[in-house]
Amino acid sequence: MRSASQLKFGEKVLIKNIDSSHPSSRRILEIGFTPGQEIELMNVSTFNDPLAFSIRGTLIALRRNEADCIEVE
Amino acid sequence: MIQHKSSEIPLITLVGPPNSGKTTLFNNLSGSNYKTVNYPGATVEYSLGKLLPKFGLKANLLDSPGIVSLVPNSPDEEVSIKSLFSHPELGTPDIFVITIDASQLSRHLLLVNQIKKCNINFIIALTMSDILNRKNYDVDQVKLGELLDCEVIKVNGRTGNGIPELVIRLNKYLGSNGIKKCNNTKIPKFPAEELIDVFKKNELIESQVIFELNGSKLEPNIERANRQLKILVNQKSKIECYKIDEKTIRIDKLLLHKSWGLLFFLFVMTLTFTSIFWLAEPLIVLVDNIFGFLANQSLKLFGYGWFGDLIANGVISGTGSILVFVPQIIILFLILGTLEDTGYLARGAMLIDKPLSKIGLNGKSFVPMLSGFACAIPALLATRTIPNRRERLLTIFIIPLMSCSARLPVYALLLAFLLPPKNSWLGGFLLAGIYIFSIASSIVIASIVNKLKNRLINTIDNSSFILELPAYRSPKFRVVINNTYISTLTYLKKAGPIILILSLFLWLITTFPNINTKIEAKGLNQEEILRITKTERLSKSYAADLGKILEPVMTPLGMDWRVGISLIASFAAREVFVSSMALIFKVTSDENTLQSSIVTAMRDAKLEGTEDYLFTTSTIIGLIIYFVFAMQCLSTVAVARKESGGWRIPILQILVFSTIAYFLTFIAVNGLRAIGLN
Repeated sequence: MRSASQLKFGEKVLIKNIDSSHPSSRRILEIGFTPGQEIELMNVSTFNDPLAFSIRGTLIALRRNEADCIEVE
Repeated sequence: MIQHKSSEIPLITLVGPPNSGKTTLFNNLSGSNYKTVNYPGATVEYSLGKLLPKFGLKANLLDSPGIVSLVPNSPDEEVSIKSLFSHPELGTPDIFVITIDASQLSRHLLLVNQIKKCNINFIIALTMSDILNRKNYDVDQVKLGELLDCEVIKVNGRTGNGIPELVIRLNKYLGSNGIKKCNNTKIPKFPAEELIDVFKKNELIESQVIFELNGSKLEPNIERANRQLKILVNQKSKIECYKIDEKTIRIDKLLLHKSWGLLFFLFVMTLTFTSIFWLAEPLIVLVDNIFGFLANQSLKLFGYGWFGDLIANGVISGTGSILVFVPQIIILFLILGTLEDTGYLARGAMLIDKPLSKIGLNGKSFVPMLSGFACAIPALLATRTIPNRRERLLTIFIIPLMSCSARLPVYALLLAFLLPPKNSWLGGFLLAGIYIFSIASSIVIASIVNKLKNRLINTIDNSSFILELPAYRSPKFRVVINNTYISTLTYLKKAGPIILILSLFLWLITTFPNINTKIEAKGLNQEEILRITKTERLSKSYAADLGKILEPVMTPLGMDWRVGISLIASFAAREVFVSSMALIFKVTSDENTLQSSIVTAMRDAKLEGTEDYLFTTSTIIGLIIYFVFAMQCLSTVAVARKESGGWRIPILQILVFSTIAYFLTFIAVNGLRAIGLN
């Protein structure tokens, strides 16, 4: 199972599941990362963390460990 | 404070997700006629205004913090969400106006879904539909209203379109036949499992209300037909308007570049930082001169007795020491506000998050820390944007270590002593060295405090960094200027009274009880009499008594009670150190500049009762180190108490920073002497 933190630049994938055991999982869902949505890795900060994804027409920056709880296809 | 709980004037609260155009709508409705209210919880101060008279509706209008959902993420957020529904000062609002970005419907409708279940009246203000139009799409507000079973009004913050209509609807609600105030509003539980279904429902609503504008092209577009067919067949299929602005993607390719992104950010911040100093410098001199002039005039007006002295050296100089920071604060907020409004500051937080998280801070700590270089007071207030309580407290803890502008005159004086005259480039070099030293020490201290974790800062919280990066746009200067005005006013209100009271107190203890000094006035001119009177007063004042108690503390540092008094005096504001030194070492600023005449007097000063010079290279370096660390500002203590919600943090700051300051000064002075550098 791949997570969003393992995406390559420009790769568009669908979200499969959000790991509900992660403490940030609820906020991640609320901000729009729901299963079935398409995401794309847009930018990576200098130390490979945080990552910026495009989701639902906007850019959201997440820490790498938070992107880990987004399982993708 | 304001009491509206039982007021006849209705209260309208603007609610909405971050970046949904809430504040723009607020400015459109209330003009610039508002005051700030302290919003409980983890947010900056929020504006409370009245609807502009031209709308013909009397109502109070509250701008609230941007929220994604009604489910709080932290204890601070819980307080701010609860007070949306029942504000401790303003009571329950009569109606919410929920701002929703038309190009972000599926995300922003989540909040509408939740508010619908709370038994409170609301109207939806649909913003940013002009952005949709530019992408050749539009939104059907009537249909959206039907689907959501509520009023939906399209508004445009830039042109003002739709705003009169919004007010008419509000008037209908709040007018003479008004709706009943909801008394039993409550926030139900929103289980996480339902979130996915809510989003699915919202996506369905979105696909029904967003439609493509046909424009002028009438010929059939096969691609478009296919796409629409797909939408009909498969509701999940994305709508073409859901594309990030091309311009933003292109700019981010450069500004968020993996290697240079951070370098560029640090460059922008260095530029910001230096311009705070260069641009503010002439204004600071101006403020200084104005208050110097006023003090002189009032002495002439009220005479040279104790009353004239109180007005000149207590009230006027005290006010001056508050206002002297205003130019820097204004410039800082103008620059930061502009950067924020363009969308760059959010990216800066992203770029700096990783290094800061290593020492227990957050990307969102950066802006407060940068503000700390102008003044710690606005910096402490700015920490309210950090959602995680632990990281917020740690940020509050280290802000006093940022080299605030009040230290600048102190460093300038001490460096002027160390350096041969007319060697200003070396001075600038050393000053930069002091700043780098203070940044490095604050990193070390932050990481040590972070290691001690729960012993010092007693909160564990899920550390998180989730931040929307808004599309780049040109800044709206009216908003930036308004915010700067509010921040400056906040600084004056928070720090002003404390600094003024302390200045008056210091005047009192340096003047009394020996108010009527008897001196040999024969053959001396007015100015000399004045100077000797002042010095005479000081040497027998309460402050001198206090200073002599401090003598045993100062001796190990190679200094005597006179420096001790100046250090006590500088608790009002650090730069008071300079004027206090001037007072103690009998300086008048007739021909030379104040600074050089103090330096001359300092060079001649001997340790009391000995033939040794008081100020030497080692004691001056010791004093610089002292000022880098010491928690030498009582206004900061007061604001830190308020912002951290208790005495724990400020008391720790005083203990930790003062101990570090004292011991490092001790080590520096005696160490330098040991290696022969007197």
